[in-house]
Amino acid sequence: MSASYTPVVQALIEEFGRLPGIGPKSAQRIVFYLLKLPVDDAKRLAKAIVDAKERVQFCDRCFNIADGPLCPVCRDDRRDPTVVCVVEEPRDIVSVERTGEFHGRYHVLMGALNPLDGIGPEHLKVRELVTRIGSDDIEEVILCTNPNTEGEVTALYLARLLKPLGVRVTRLASGLPVGGDLEYADELTLGRALEGRRVVET
Amino acid sequence: MIVEHLELVDFRNYRKERFELTDGTTVVLGNNGHGKTNLAEALAYLATLSSFRGVSNEAMIRHEAETAVIRATVLHPDGRRSNVDAELSRGAPGRVQVNRQRLRRARDLLGTIRVTVFSPDDLGIVKGSPGERRRYVDDALVALSAKYDAVRLDVDRAVRQRNRLLKQMAGRMDGDDAVTLDVWDARLADAGERFGEARAALIGRLAPIVQEAYGDLAGPTSVGLSYEPPWRTQGLAAALAVARTADVRLRASTVGPHRDDIELSIGSLPARSQASQGEQRTLALALRLGTHRLVSEQEDSAPVLVLDDVLSELDASRAAALLRHLPVGQIIITTAGAIPDAVEPHRIIRITDGAQV
Ligand SMILES: Nc1ncnc2c1ncn2[C@@H]1O[C@H](COP(=O)(O)OP(=O)(O)O)[C@@H](O)[C@H]1O
Ligand SMILES: [Mg+2]
Ligand SMILES: [Zn+2]
Repeated sequence: MSASYTPVVQALIEEFGRLPGIGPKSAQRIVFYLLKLPVDDAKRLAKAIVDAKERVQFCDRCFNIADGPLCPVCRDDRRDPTVVCVVEEPRDIVSVERTGEFHGRYHVLMGALNPLDGIGPEHLKVRELVTRIGSDDIEEVILCTNPNTEGEVTALYLARLLKPLGVRVTRLASGLPVGGDLEYADELTLGRALEGRRVVET
Repeated sequence: MIVEHLELVDFRNYRKERFELTDGTTVVLGNNGHGKTNLAEALAYLATLSSFRGVSNEAMIRHEAETAVIRATVLHPDGRRSNVDAELSRGAPGRVQVNRQRLRRARDLLGTIRVTVFSPDDLGIVKGSPGERRRYVDDALVALSAKYDAVRLDVDRAVRQRNRLLKQMAGRMDGDDAVTLDVWDARLADAGERFGEARAALIGRLAPIVQEAYGDLAGPTSVGLSYEPPWRTQGLAAALAVARTADVRLRASTVGPHRDDIELSIGSLPARSQASQGEQRTLALALRLGTHRLVSEQEDSAPVLVLDDVLSELDASRAAALLRHLPVGQIIITTAGAIPDAVEPHRIIRITDGAQV
């Protein structure tokens, strides 16, 4: 970036440029928009970010987003504790919940196997999942990782790891758009994929 | 299929330019460096969502602009019309609208629009590295059946991930590495096996068609295409297992669809090393003509055909033979020189510096 903004503005542009999906040009545009905002609006935005950061935490059990030690799903004792749906990100829980087809609990891996991003099994919440299976009454683990290369590989890795522990390990039925994220699947398709889940062959 | 209008906004050297195209033949005239290939590239982008020149989407956005737009009205063989609007942005995935409906993923456009481009660079399919032959075959595979796009991406992704993992292992493998490598192998084997199968089937269909096309252009000659990577006999899973020690040591995936070659021959001699330049050029044309015919046959309608600066490279008789053997449909011919004798254009477009004159 060659433009010579003041250091304060430059620093802000760089901060935005680090966010996912935002390139240098968009970062510039956002910053110039913010600079034109009334100061109260800017303060409200800054406060919303700080509040979220301070109050939101991850669930001790499943790593979903929570506002206390446990997330709303884990606190809800009508949920079936014997079935756990494993997802990559907290936002995937929203997709699965929208189907209305799933009544068990979750486990968020916080990513997928991805050597290009430097992510191996040790960077995911895999050990925590194994511990849960050892101590809770889990009978079935549904692997709801994304239907793309990394998601499928992660599912296979987990299936091979978990099967010897004596749980039923299932995977979403095919039919989801291949190569995409769970996010792209509509509720109906995802609901059907959940219903038609099959035991993973390893 | 016919592209009736094409509008380019901030695409390469075009600021905002709308082209009225026609069924039959359009000739695009312009001096070198004024935007003829750019126009061909924009059309082809609608078919493949990538540059046929093999560059990133970003390279196609006009310098100084942030997004490029390619808009087209397409008349399908069944009489339907669709308005396609493809947007290329810097550092973000491309976006596509069809009839003002945003597609969930740009790649969902694949299979909607079909374009065949003949380019002087096609000589590279015959003379160049195995990668250029793979690209030719794989592009044809996706043009014939869009579902192979996902398989191709899956193979590519699995190879890149596996290679990175091998680099991270730095020449050694402990037990945890082996378990992780196993799952990447399984994915590569699965996707690679399906892709190899599809390539082999396509080569089988293509070989007689290319042979016939070569004959049309240069008289009867025996021309061969063969795809027989050794891993296909034992299966990719087994081949990866055998290659593992070497792969760990070399820190790269030495076996798989990403390393295959497609052997081309003319009169049973390898075309790459033993054929004359003229034969090689004819074979390159025959390969393009072959896939064009295959797609035309399967779809019961010819893809939009672009001859980008290729006629000037051919002697008059071969140029005439090529034109004579093109399936009927929409044809766009670009040239920096005069309109070739055998061409009867329905429309002439002249471009100077990214603008029609
Ligand atoms: N991203 C870009 N932005 C602006 N101009 C570009 C871009 N890419 C290529 N050009 C220009 O396009 C011209 C080449 O156009 P091209 O279609 O290849 O020419 P030809 O008519 O010889 O086929 C060159 O002048 C080059 O500078
Ligand atoms: Mg050119
Ligand atoms: Zn929880």
